[in-house]
Amino acid sequence: MKTKRLLALALVSVMLFAFMAACGGGDTSPEDSNPPGENTPSSNDTSAPPPSADSGDTTDIPRNEALYFNGFQWGPSVGWNAFSSNMNNPLAFEQTADGARLPMMETPYMYNFLDNKMYPLLADGGVDGYSFNADRTELTYTLKSAAKWNDGSAVTAHDAAFTWEASVNYLPDGYANWTPYIADVVAADDSTVVIKAVVENGKPVNANMMIQYLGERYILNKAWLEALIDRNGGDKDSIANDKGQDCVYSGAYGPFFMDDNKVILTRNDSYWGQDASMWGKLPAPKYIGNVLYESNAAGDSVFVVGEVDVSQNYIENSYKMWTEQGLPVSTYLADAPYHIAANMPTAYFNMNSPKVGLDDPIVRKAIAISVDYDMILANAMTNQSPSFKDVPRSLMNPSAAEQAMYNKADVAALQWVGNDIDGANAMLDAAGYAIGDSGYREKDGEKLSYKVSCPTGWSDWEAAMYVVAAAGEKIGIEMETYFTDWSVYQVTMTSASQTEFDIFMFSTQGNAPAQPYSRIRALLSSEFNNLDNNWTGNFGQYSNSEVDDILKLIPQETDAAKLREYYTKLVEIYLTEVPSFSLMYRPEKFHTVNESVWTGFTSSDDGRNVPPNNSISGYGIADLYNLTLVG
Amino acid sequence: MKNTLRQVFRPGKFLAGFIIFAFILLLTVLYPLFNPGDPLAMIGLNNFTKPGTYVSVYDSLNVNRTFVFKLPDAAEKRIGSKLFPEDRETIKDYLTRLGLPEDSIDIDDTHDLMALWWNNYDPANQIGKTIAERRAYTALDNKLAGIFVSEDLEVLQYDPGTDEYVRKKMVTENDYVNVGDVANTIWLPLGTDNFGADMLKKLVSAIGTSLLIGLIAGVVATMIGLLLGLLAGYLGGIADDVIMFFTNLFTVIPGFILLILISYSIDQSRRGATTVAIVIGLTSWVWTTRSVRAQVISLRNRDHVNLSKLSGHSLPRIVVGDILPYIASYVVMAFILQISSAILAEAGLSMLGLGPKTTDTATLGLVMEWSIMKSAAHISGAWWAYYPVIIVIALISFSLNLMNTGLDQIFNPQLRD
Amino acid sequence: MKGYRKYFTRKILWFLITLVSAVILNFILPRLMPGDPIASIVSKIGGAGSNNPAATQAMYEHYQNAFGLDKPVIQQFFIYVKNLLRGDFGLSFSRYPIPVSEVIGNALPWTIGLQFPAIIVGWFLGNILGALAAYIRKGFDKVLMPAMLFLGGVPAFGMAIILLVIFGIGLQWFPFQGGYPPGMIPHMSWKFFAGIISHYHLPFWSIVLISVGGQSLGMRSMSIYELNADYVKYSRYMGIKDRKIVGYVFRNAMLPQITGLALSIGTMISGAMVAEIVFSYPGLGTTLLQGIRENDYPLISASTFIITLMVLTTVFILDIIYGLIDPRIKASQYE
Repeated sequence: MKTKRLLALALVSVMLFAFMAACGGGDTSPEDSNPPGENTPSSNDTSAPPPSADSGDTTDIPRNEALYFNGFQWGPSVGWNAFSSNMNNPLAFEQTADGARLPMMETPYMYNFLDNKMYPLLADGGVDGYSFNADRTELTYTLKSAAKWNDGSAVTAHDAAFTWEASVNYLPDGYANWTPYIADVVAADDSTVVIKAVVENGKPVNANMMIQYLGERYILNKAWLEALIDRNGGDKDSIANDKGQDCVYSGAYGPFFMDDNKVILTRNDSYWGQDASMWGKLPAPKYIGNVLYESNAAGDSVFVVGEVDVSQNYIENSYKMWTEQGLPVSTYLADAPYHIAANMPTAYFNMNSPKVGLDDPIVRKAIAISVDYDMILANAMTNQSPSFKDVPRSLMNPSAAEQAMYNKADVAALQWVGNDIDGANAMLDAAGYAIGDSGYREKDGEKLSYKVSCPTGWSDWEAAMYVVAAAGEKIGIEMETYFTDWSVYQVTMTSASQTEFDIFMFSTQGNAPAQPYSRIRALLSSEFNNLDNNWTGNFGQYSNSEVDDILKLIPQETDAAKLREYYTKLVEIYLTEVPSFSLMYRPEKFHTVNESVWTGFTSSDDGRNVPPNNSISGYGIADLYNLTLVG
Repeated sequence: MKNTLRQVFRPGKFLAGFIIFAFILLLTVLYPLFNPGDPLAMIGLNNFTKPGTYVSVYDSLNVNRTFVFKLPDAAEKRIGSKLFPEDRETIKDYLTRLGLPEDSIDIDDTHDLMALWWNNYDPANQIGKTIAERRAYTALDNKLAGIFVSEDLEVLQYDPGTDEYVRKKMVTENDYVNVGDVANTIWLPLGTDNFGADMLKKLVSAIGTSLLIGLIAGVVATMIGLLLGLLAGYLGGIADDVIMFFTNLFTVIPGFILLILISYSIDQSRRGATTVAIVIGLTSWVWTTRSVRAQVISLRNRDHVNLSKLSGHSLPRIVVGDILPYIASYVVMAFILQISSAILAEAGLSMLGLGPKTTDTATLGLVMEWSIMKSAAHISGAWWAYYPVIIVIALISFSLNLMNTGLDQIFNPQLRD
Repeated sequence: MKGYRKYFTRKILWFLITLVSAVILNFILPRLMPGDPIASIVSKIGGAGSNNPAATQAMYEHYQNAFGLDKPVIQQFFIYVKNLLRGDFGLSFSRYPIPVSEVIGNALPWTIGLQFPAIIVGWFLGNILGALAAYIRKGFDKVLMPAMLFLGGVPAFGMAIILLVIFGIGLQWFPFQGGYPPGMIPHMSWKFFAGIISHYHLPFWSIVLISVGGQSLGMRSMSIYELNADYVKYSRYMGIKDRKIVGYVFRNAMLPQITGLALSIGTMISGAMVAEIVFSYPGLGTTLLQGIRENDYPLISASTFIITLMVLTTVFILDIIYGLIDPRIKASQYE
């Protein structure tokens, strides 16, 4: 009797509290992002501008009208100000060399990293349809007559010119990435834009950077920019912090919703690009959204159940998703390496290190040839990039365009495939680094002992550096893994005089029109030495005047044979001196898609030549016009 | 003393807990004897290989003694290992989409089905709406190529001297070797982890480290808690006020938050297992202090303590001789709980990426972190990489708690059945 | 009455001193962490991959100045306290230029919405089961107690992951990431509530299941203890009805459990962290952790301040209530 009663009591309480629990969640949650009684999507001051007529009351977006992404960002977004770099809104804005994010703001050209060509967007004409003057100091392109802002006004050359002017005058860093190469952007007439190079000895400093500019930097609306500058009194800080709700855009998508958890853009059905001179139609998804997850693992877990369509995360063993789990998941290539590799995460030798041996190219090369790169590829990359056996190491990334830029045969004798313990030992023995009392190799009584570093928690990098350390131990060099938190790592790595890391890891630049030059400069040029907060490159402070001289010649050289000669020479020096050595190739974009809802994404076998660039960056945005629903 | 021990080890909760705990402890001691070597060694070039025995292909081809068996179902099994039931469905699906009448396809008739597939599958004519589907058909076709072939295999060996491949042997479908004769096999009861390391070996080593962390943290926390509690309780007055002030302060800032902040302040490269253990100990003494103090307060006016005081005994002697014995059982129980909560704390810390540094040792938390947070084993279906470790943590904690409850029943007669 | 006043004055004094010390600690602790918040920001907004180290350096100095980190620490502390008194937590570094109060304001309701019901339900379920185990003993207890012990020993992360794998990815009964459906815009409607509730299940149960384990054991011990107490035996001799005795017993056993409940409500933010992280629940736990990862001093200080304040207030209220209802406690202060 008593038992029954107690049980009944228990049951009632459970039900009561489960109910309260449900209501408790319901009561508290919506209020934080939306005042009660308000129906339009808005959250405090990050609200969208008045939504277009047919999307006014949408509070529940049907799955088959939206394309979802993940892996673009960590912290929540701030706003819609395309001019500011403080917005942390990468679904809408991201201006990178391998193709800017194009759903909302647009660039004159769309970069295609598959063929290294520029495809016209706001610009008129064909592929690579811009023109240079005779000495390449001026680049000219015209804008499409159909190109319009979302307020109906035309995109003009004055917009392009003013975007440059405003960037130089009002960006916190004064547009320092571009001013060394571009002197000015001017409007020749309403639709003709002229980019003027910074000229040195009658030649442009680096004409390729002008091409890169076309696919990396947006054209922003002049009237809006003027209003933005005006309402913030021309103050750089408040301009950067303005949330830009009223942002005028030319792209197919505009702001729809933003809170701490996600950003959603909605299609502008009067987008100019449906003109026959551009796409001829609207993109398929009515909405595109980026949802924030707490970790890669969390993002991957919704990707496998099809809540997310396009994942930018590196997913370990992603091939198991279709080979073993039977999921409708695919990558650009059907088989290993699955992705287009662009980057070459590199181990730098610290030339400033007081440790004995690091200044000797023999020691550096011995370490480099003893590393087991297959192990790195298998464990750090789960075979999602080509191996050094497929693509011999050089300063070039594995893309066909870059590989064609140097003479492989000339440097073949300097190559190594790794795991060459005997070879490394022989080199070190010959150079007089004998094993001493410590059990390790010594020079003048001092043992060879290095700290091997990378940021902690970057699992693939940690695995790679672990393999490097293991290799060192095999050739009689003491290696201590020293993994520090990223917040500490970045300060040390970018400091000019650090002696904490001896061998340490960072990535290189990827695909871009101005490659491989920019990457090589960042890897080898001594112009970055002795600078604090140096994020650009040569973190090991390597210095070689011959390299510096060649680096000065390349950007102004137009003769292909001559360029080839320079690049080959640089690769030769790189493989001989080994100031750093790449540990693996790595894709810049992991672009893995789940076709539960949408299909028609780019793949290597479809003959469309659309780069796997997350379907919204550079020429990769062509995907959006090819998508269809699966169901 | 003997009596107490006998009582403690009487069948019941304590004994059950003790047996489980002893078993786990024994495993950490004995398993490395059977399977020596560095538990973190990356032995595999593929990560998350599934549990099982792996046999060297090279060595099995090189075994000299071969045997012949004619098993009636060998051919069938060989086909079955390539053509799964779901593949049959896929083939039927493909064929019906091509327009073949559904009743003309018998998925149980292997030869017929395959004939239909080979006649109709055309890599150029891609049926299937999605990339994944099209690629799955291609992969299936590749997999099934030569499925009925039972002709002899020729083994060639490369001769670097002549730069030619020389025939080594022929292998027929009925040739067998004894696994015992194969030079290299590896048994991986829990497969490999994300680094390609032997998961069981790593797990066992992790248990050892985690128990050590629990022990160190438990000792630190209990010593601090005991000392402060004794001082506060026995001395009272200003000492009590000051100690209680700090105790309150550390209650107010939750231990886990404090633990995170402190762990983060110690750079990962300096965060060894011992350091983490000490930090955990330093942030979890609060409750021990509070309870010891409460007990000491109730003891300090007992007759025997007063007698001791009157006899002019020194403070340490009174504390050690007259107070400690009365709270000893309580302290032991608190200590056991500290161990189990320290192991859980280490697991939590590691999952947040604040655990001991990764390359030296494995801890249970780190194994969990690498499997789940960093490699998402739970998404790729590698159950062996995370279920065992979760269960082991729960078991350790369970056995310690069981021992604690058992002790509680013995020292608090009122709790007895 | 004088005793009470003295008791309360003393308690309030301790409350204030602890609060001040906690504020100081909250300010200092984040700043002891290694790393450089500005380097993080600079690398995030275009420093990494920059072509121009001189400009990066200028950007660095710009933010150092904007955050006031170029001032001496003492001065920073007084600015912090001054702003705190006005209820201003400053601007978040990692989400610059969003104010910390807005970041926390957005996160706190989710944490409370998740934790408060979970703690209450866990507490009720635990106590009922514990009481039942104590009262029925025999078979029920023999099965339940070890089960609860085991449940209480499962690491919080493990529990969350197991629920996620089984009910989320495997069976797909519930969505398992975020606080509400990704396709929904927060608004007032039953549909949206339903969306919230479906996302609520897994994080909720992952907290409840573990706390049930701990709570039921506590309640069981206390109940057995009370059931064996002298007054129960005495009452039985007196012929008082079982039902009435059981009532007394459980009421007495509950007292320490209520303390436990109050404290767990106070510490809910740190308790929720694990569930929030595994299920990407947009609460304060994840916010705090993100702040720690990016050296966001104002965000960490503000979060820990709120946590501190919650625990301190709960403890203080408990002290006051106990002082009122149980004279023994007040008296014990002066023995």
